[in-house]
Amino acid sequence: MHIPDGILPIPITAGGYAATAAATWYSVRKIEQQENPRRHVPKASLLTAAFFVVSWIHIPVPPTSVHLVLNGLLGALLGYFAFPAILIGLFFQAVMFQHGGLTTLGINAVIMGLPAIVAHYVFRMRRLGNHDSRTRTAVFGFFSGAVALGISVAMFVAILLGNLPADFDPAIERAAVYTLAVAHVPLIAIEGVITALLTTFLRRVQPELLDDV
Amino acid sequence: MKLELDEYVHLESPLHRWDPRYKLAGLMALILAFSFVRDLRMLLPMVAATATVYLVSRLPLSFMLRRLRYPSIFVLAAVLILPFLAGQTIVLSIGPFDVRQEGLLAVLLIVTRFLCILTIGLILFGTTPFLTSIKAMRALGLPAILADMLLLSFRYLHEIGNDLQRMQTSMTLRGFHRHRLSPRGLRILAWLGGSILVRSYEQSEWVYKAMILRGYGHEPHPRDEFRACSRDVVALSVFLSTAVAFVAADVLWRYGPAALPW
Repeated sequence: MHIPDGILPIPITAGGYAATAAATWYSVRKIEQQENPRRHVPKASLLTAAFFVVSWIHIPVPPTSVHLVLNGLLGALLGYFAFPAILIGLFFQAVMFQHGGLTTLGINAVIMGLPAIVAHYVFRMRRLGNHDSRTRTAVFGFFSGAVALGISVAMFVAILLGNLPADFDPAIERAAVYTLAVAHVPLIAIEGVITALLTTFLRRVQPELLDDV
Repeated sequence: MKLELDEYVHLESPLHRWDPRYKLAGLMALILAFSFVRDLRMLLPMVAATATVYLVSRLPLSFMLRRLRYPSIFVLAAVLILPFLAGQTIVLSIGPFDVRQEGLLAVLLIVTRFLCILTIGLILFGTTPFLTSIKAMRALGLPAILADMLLLSFRYLHEIGNDLQRMQTSMTLRGFHRHRLSPRGLRILAWLGGSILVRSYEQSEWVYKAMILRGYGHEPHPRDEFRACSRDVVALSVFLSTAVAFVAADVLWRYGPAALPW
C-alpha cells in the first residue's frame, strides 16, 4: 500500500513532503516538550526497527498471504514518536526494498502516519472513566488497528485514483474504488484482530510498554 | 538476514568519490526533475541521462536488476490495468478487451519515470555507505532526534530481523503451520510479533544505559566530517543544471516558450 515513484504529479508529492515536514516538526516539538526527551529515543528507535521487522510476518489469507501494516499499533504504543517512526520505516523500505519511493516518501508518510496519530487517540480512550480492563484494551486495540488501516486505505485509493495521468471512465473508477474497498475489508479486520491480540499480549507481559513512550 | 545495501560502496568511481552532501542534493534534484516530467518527448533524454549516470557509477547491472524484483509487480500491474481501463481512443481489440491509446501512453510515462527515479535512487544509496548518507542528511539539516532514530533503528534492524528468523524457524520445527488461517494461528503470530516488541523494548533499556555511560545527550555537537572540494561543487552544478534543463524543456514542450518564467 505504498505509492511508488513515477505515478503522482509533482504538486501532490511536494504537498506530501510539506505535510510530512509539518507533522514531523509538530511531533518533534511535542517530544522535546517531554521531560528528558532523549530518554525515549533508544526505545522509540528499537521499537521502530521491531515494527519494521514485525511487518514482515506474513498472515495467511488463502490463497495468498498478506503482511501487516501496523500503523494503528505504532500510534497506540509510540504516541508522538509514531509519525517519525513511520517516516523512518518508509525510508528504509524505499531505500532497501524499493517499496514506495523517494519522491513519494512524503505522501506515503501522510497516508500511514496521520491515521497512526488518530489511532493513538483512539487507544487512549480506553482509559476514559479511569477503568482499564483487558476487554477494553482488546476493544480499543482492535479499533485503533482497524481505524488506522481503514483511513490509510481510503486516503491511498483517493490519492492514487485521483492523480493517475490517465482518465478513467467514471463507471470504471467507481467500480475500482468499490473493488479496492471491498478487497481491503478482510485485511482491515485482520489488522484490527492482530492489534487487539498484540495489545492484550503486551498488557499481560510488559504493561509499561502500553503506557511508557 | 542480509540487506546488502552497502554491497558496492567500495568501488572507485566519480560518484563514489563525490561528497555525500552534494551527491544527496544533486541526485535528489534530478529525481524531482524526473518526477516533474509529463511530456512523452522527454522520456528518451531521461533514460539517456539515467543510463549515463549509472555507467559513470560503475555499479554492475546485476545490482539494479536484482532490486527490480519487488517493484516489477507494480510495473506489471500498471501494464495489465491501465491500457484496458483508461482512456477513450481504442487502438486494438483483443477478444472482449479494448486496448486504449491514453492508457498505453500513461503506462509508458509512469513506467519510464518510475524506472529512472528508482535507478537514480539506487545510485544515490548504492555508492555511499548508508551510515554516511544519514550523516550527510544530518549535515543538511535533518533534526537530531530523527538522525539518532535513523542510526539506531538501522543498527538494530539486522539484529531484530535475525531474531524473527530464528523464532519463525523454531515455530516451524515445533509443528506450526504458517500457511493455515485459524484463530489459534492468528494468536500465535500476534504473540510472535509481541515477543519481538518486548525483546526490543527490554534491549532498549540496556542500550539507553550504555549510551548514557558514553555521554549521550551531553556530548558537544560533533563537527561536520565532510570536506568539499571544487570538484564536488562543479559536479553539483552539473546535476542542478541538468535538473533545471529537464523541467524547463518539459514546460517548453507542453506549454510553449511563453510559459517559461524568463
